[in-house]
Amino acid sequence: MPELTADVVLRKIKSGEKVERADLRGLAMPKAMLEGVSFRRCDLDGANFEGARMAKAQLKNASLREAFLAGADLREANLENADLEGANLQGAILVGANLNRANLEGANLQGADLGGARLTHAQLDSAKLGGANLVAAQLSHADLSDADLSTAKLDEADLTSAILTDANLEEASLVNARMRDAQVEGVNIKNANLTGADAPALKGGPAAGLSKRYFGKGDVLRNAALEFDSGASVEIESLFEQCTIVLGDGTELVVGRSGVLSGCQIRGAGKITIHGKFVERESPGIAGVTQLVVSSGGSLVGAVEQPAELTRFAFEPGCMLRMKIQGKKDRPQERAAKGGRNR
Amino acid sequence: MNGRKTLVEEGTQFKGSLSSDCPIEVKGRVEGDLTAPALAVSTSGAVHGKVKVGEMKSQGELAGEFDADVVQLSGTVKDATIIRAKSLEVKLAPPNGKLQVVFGECELEVGSEQAAKEQAKEPAKEPPAAVKPPSVRPPDNGAPVESNGSAS
Repeated sequence: MPELTADVVLRKIKSGEKVERADLRGLAMPKAMLEGVSFRRCDLDGANFEGARMAKAQLKNASLREAFLAGADLREANLENADLEGANLQGAILVGANLNRANLEGANLQGADLGGARLTHAQLDSAKLGGANLVAAQLSHADLSDADLSTAKLDEADLTSAILTDANLEEASLVNARMRDAQVEGVNIKNANLTGADAPALKGGPAAGLSKRYFGKGDVLRNAALEFDSGASVEIESLFEQCTIVLGDGTELVVGRSGVLSGCQIRGAGKITIHGKFVERESPGIAGVTQLVVSSGGSLVGAVEQPAELTRFAFEPGCMLRMKIQGKKDRPQERAAKGGRNR
Repeated sequence: MNGRKTLVEEGTQFKGSLSSDCPIEVKGRVEGDLTAPALAVSTSGAVHGKVKVGEMKSQGELAGEFDADVVQLSGTVKDATIIRAKSLEVKLAPPNGKLQVVFGECELEVGSEQAAKEQAKEPAKEPPAAVKPPSVRPPDNGAPVESNGSAS
């Protein structure tokens, strides 16, 4: 039972009294008119404010864990440092609200309107933000790991240094979003709109945002033919023997320190980083890659055939190379195809 | 000898053998053999020939045979060039920027001979039971490709 009933709370509000630091757990005030009300530091865990009108409400440092705020109007409310873990804010209006340092872990914000909201340093890990409006929201340093932001609108949002690890941004709109220094490992950006976004980690390596394959240490693959889709990210810590690997456009292949590719061939417009070892079977062992990095401790024995637009190479001191670099050669099939076309 | 260097200035062409006890800086063009403790080739410089140096930094054009302990490379490496070094450094060019090095058809021999021999032998040891998918196309859902258990 709350310390005060809904009627008492309403009376206090009408008489201009402040309701602060009160134990109001489980308070039920759906659709109540609570504009500008102050619930600072109140314990409102499990309270029901469904559809309540709470514009400019003062909820700084309030505890609203598991509270029901679906459809509530909280525009320009002050929820700084509030604890909203597991709260239901589905369809809530939080335009211009202050949610800096708020805890929204696992909160349901599907379809919520957070346009221009301040969410710096907010905890939004595992939050459900599907379809939410976060246009021009301030999310710098926010933790959005594992959050669902599919179809969300994040145009002009500030996600500088935000943590987006394993977040789902599928079909999200990030037009002109600022994402510098954001952590984007494992983020899903399938069909996301990144037009004008300052997101070097996502744009420089599309693989960072897409599906990942990992071949663990101690595993062995022999005589395998592997094809990886465009944008995939592949990490090999295993032993591959006599394997043929085809990389889609932009696919990132990392041969880890324990990875050994012996007697293998790699084809396609991917990016390769070798921390381990690569030895070719037939020359050229690597063909058509757009980028090849051999780190210190990495080694490569074989020929590399560059595509027409040339490969971007990087070699770190300490790497071991026995390599030939070649230009693109017409293969018999290609020659035949060209001949066929010319006829 | 401190601070002294042999300079082949821009606009200068040198043909023949050049051996020096002090570092050589090439801003012009050298064709021939070159021996020195260090060689720096600037963006306007070109060295075509046989070179044996301790340290080489090149931002210009290289063609021929180059033996060095330490090499830092950018610029252009022409066709039929061999670079042998204990250590080679090439920095990665920005994604849409100019290439650090434009490599023609060339050979790179970097690291010790011993390491190369070990490398060639490396995969000979008998591995654990093999997984042998003759042809695997991984799923698109991010799941690991079939392997013998430790993939994650």
